[in-house]
Amino acid sequence: MNKTVNINLAGTFFHIDEDAYLKLQRYLEAIKRSFTDSQGRSEIISDIEARIAELFNERVKHDKQVIGIKEVDEVIAIMGQPEDYLVDDDIFEDTPNSGTYKKTAPSKKLFRDTDNSYISGVSSGLGHYLGIDAVWMRLLWIILTIASGGTFIIIYILFWILVPAATTTAEKIMMTGEPVNISNIEKKIKDGFENVADTVSETAKNVSKSVSGAAKKGGTSIKSTSKNFFDTLADIIMFFFKLFAKFIGVLLILIGSLTIIALIIAWFSVGVADVLHIPGTNFINVANPGNTPIWLVSLFVFFAIGIPFFFLFYLGLKILINNLKSIGNIAKFTLLGLWLFSIIALVVIGIREASEHAFNERFVERQELNVMAADTLKISMAENQLFRNHYRSHSYKLANNENGDEMLYRKNIMFSVKPTTDSIAKISIEKSAEGSDYEKAINRAKNINYNYTLNNNALLLDSYLSTDPKNKFSDQEIILTLYLPIGSVIKLNDNVRSFLYHSSDVSSKYLNHYVTITEDGIICDGCEEEEDEETFEVNINTPSVNIDSKGVEIKGDASTLKIDSTGVKAESEKVKVNINSQGVSVKSED
Amino acid sequence: MKIENTKAQMRKGVLEYCILSVLKDEDAYVAEILDTLKDAKLLVVEGTIYPLLTRLKNAGLLNYRWEESQSGPPRKYYGLTETGKLFLNELNTTWSELQNAVNIVTSQKTPKK
Repeated sequence: MNKTVNINLAGTFFHIDEDAYLKLQRYLEAIKRSFTDSQGRSEIISDIEARIAELFNERVKHDKQVIGIKEVDEVIAIMGQPEDYLVDDDIFEDTPNSGTYKKTAPSKKLFRDTDNSYISGVSSGLGHYLGIDAVWMRLLWIILTIASGGTFIIIYILFWILVPAATTTAEKIMMTGEPVNISNIEKKIKDGFENVADTVSETAKNVSKSVSGAAKKGGTSIKSTSKNFFDTLADIIMFFFKLFAKFIGVLLILIGSLTIIALIIAWFSVGVADVLHIPGTNFINVANPGNTPIWLVSLFVFFAIGIPFFFLFYLGLKILINNLKSIGNIAKFTLLGLWLFSIIALVVIGIREASEHAFNERFVERQELNVMAADTLKISMAENQLFRNHYRSHSYKLANNENGDEMLYRKNIMFSVKPTTDSIAKISIEKSAEGSDYEKAINRAKNINYNYTLNNNALLLDSYLSTDPKNKFSDQEIILTLYLPIGSVIKLNDNVRSFLYHSSDVSSKYLNHYVTITEDGIICDGCEEEEDEETFEVNINTPSVNIDSKGVEIKGDASTLKIDSTGVKAESEKVKVNINSQGVSVKSED
Repeated sequence: MKIENTKAQMRKGVLEYCILSVLKDEDAYVAEILDTLKDAKLLVVEGTIYPLLTRLKNAGLLNYRWEESQSGPPRKYYGLTETGKLFLNELNTTWSELQNAVNIVTSQKTPKK
C-alpha cells in the first residue's frame, strides 16, 4: 500500500505515489540548481515540466492509474540526469560537474514530532522548525507558562490542536528539512529577489522584442509576452506581499496571544474571585444594582473580546505556517455563535444596568431646630469616627458600622443656608437615589441614614451618609438645607468648605466668620474678599538671618536665636533659654 | 578524458545547428523537434534541448507561440525569426566547409612529407 499525492504538472492533473513524487521533486530541484538565473531558469523549468507531463500522459492509460516510481524512473531516463542539461562553457570541461546534483530536502514545514514527544510533540516540532534543540523549546514553554501564571498552557494547547502531527515519511522529511534560521531566510529573500529581477529583465526583453516583432508580423506573440509581463508583475507583487504577510502574521500571533492571555488573567481574577466569594469582591457587587452575576458578565466579556482575537491568532498562524490544520467548520461556527450570543447578552445586561438609573427620586425630611432669631449657631461637619480612609466623593466605601454590620458609605453631602421668616430654624434633609422604577428609587432614598446633632447651639453635621449594601450603589446623595430665622448669627467651621452647595448663598469667604442672616441674604461684617490663605510673608529687617541645612540662626542687636541639631538657643539681654539633650534651662538676670 | 564526454560534446556542438535546421521549413513544438533529433540519434536524453531552445530564443534566433492542443494543455510552437534564418544560412555554409575540411583531414591515410 502506498500513499498518493495529487499534483498539477504544467496544467495537467496526476495521481502520483508519494515516494515517486519525492523523487520527481528532487529531480526538478536538482535541474533547477544546475541553471543560473541568467539562462532563463524559470522558463526552462516550465518547459521541462510540460514535457514531463506529456511523457506521463503517454504512460497513463486511464484516469485512475497512479504514477509510480517506475514511471518516474523512465521519464528521468528519457530526460537525462541534471548534468546532461548543462550547456555553454560547462560542456567543454572534461568531467561533468556532478556536484550540482545534491539531494536536498524541500523547504521546511511545522509539524508536531510525535516520535520525540514529552506531551504532544509541539516543542520538538518547533525545535525542528527553528533549528533549536527541543530541550530549549521545552524550557521556554515552562518558563513562559510559569511567568504568565499558567495561561501559556492555552497557547500550547492551541499549537497542539492546530499543528498537525508528522505521520508520513514525507511529512517527517519536511519537518526536519532546512532549518528556518536567519541565514536561510536571508538566502531565501535573496533568491526571491534574483528570481524577480531575472523575470523582469526577461520580460523586458520579450516586450521589446515583441514590439519590434509585432510591427512586422502583426502581434502573434504579443499575447504571450503581455501575458508574461503581467505574470511577472503579479510575481513581483506576490513576492512583496508574501514578505509583508509574514510580518503581519507574526504581528497577529503576538497580538492575539497576548490579548488572550490578558483576558484569561482578567477573567480569572474577576470571575473566579466572584464565584469563590473571595473577600473584598463585594466591593464590585455593590456597584452592580442590576444584580447580574459578575462571573457571567466577565464570561461574556471574555468571549466577546477573546473570540475575535483567537481568530486573529489563528489567521497569523495560518499565514506563517501553510500546512496548518483547520479547526473545522463546527468549531468555527460554534465560536461565531458563542461570540454573537455573548455580544447580545452583554447588550441586554447593559440595558438592564442602565435602566437601574432610569428613576432618580428624592425623599425629603424636615425637622425643626431649637435655634431662635437672636441665637448664634456654630456649624461644623463631623468626620466619621470608624474609618479615616479618604475616598472620592463620587465613589463609595464599604466599612463596618459600630454594630459590626457592613455599610456602604458615601460623602455626597451638599450643604446650603437659606433665610426664613419663621421664628425657629429648620433643617431639610433631601435624600435621593436611583432605581429602575419609582418604587425602588424612593425606597433606596428612604434607606439612606443621615444624622446630625445640635448641642448648645453647636450644630454638628455628619460628613457622610450610609446605607445597607443590599441597596446597592445607586448614586445616593444628601442635600442639606438649613433654614435660619432672620437676625440669627452663624459661624461656619472651615471643614464645611468642601460640602458647600455651589448654588448656595453661603460662599467659602464666610467660613470662620460670624455672619448675620437677613432677608436679602447673608451679611458678613468682618469678612474681606476671599483672602489668599496660602500667602505668608517674610520680613527680614534684622542684621543677620541665616537659614541653611544646619539650621536657623538669627542675630539681632540685643538678641540671638539659634536652632540646630544640638537644640534651641535663645538669648536676649536679660533672658537665656537653652533646650538641648540635657533638658531645658532658663536663666534670667532678675 | 572519457570517450562518452567527447562524444557528447561533439553532438552538443552541432545541436544548435540541427535544431535550427529542423525548424527551417515549418514551426514545431518541442516533442516534434525531439522526435526528429532522436530518430537521427543526435540526442540521447531529452533534457539537453531545453536550455538550448531558451538560449536560441533569448539570442533572438527563435520565437514561439502558444497553440491549443486536443490532448492536453496548450503547446509551445517554435519557429525561426528572420535573424534565425540568416544565422542558419551562415551555419549551413560553415557546416559544409567544416564537413569538407574534416573529410579531407580524416581521409588522408598518410601525412605528407
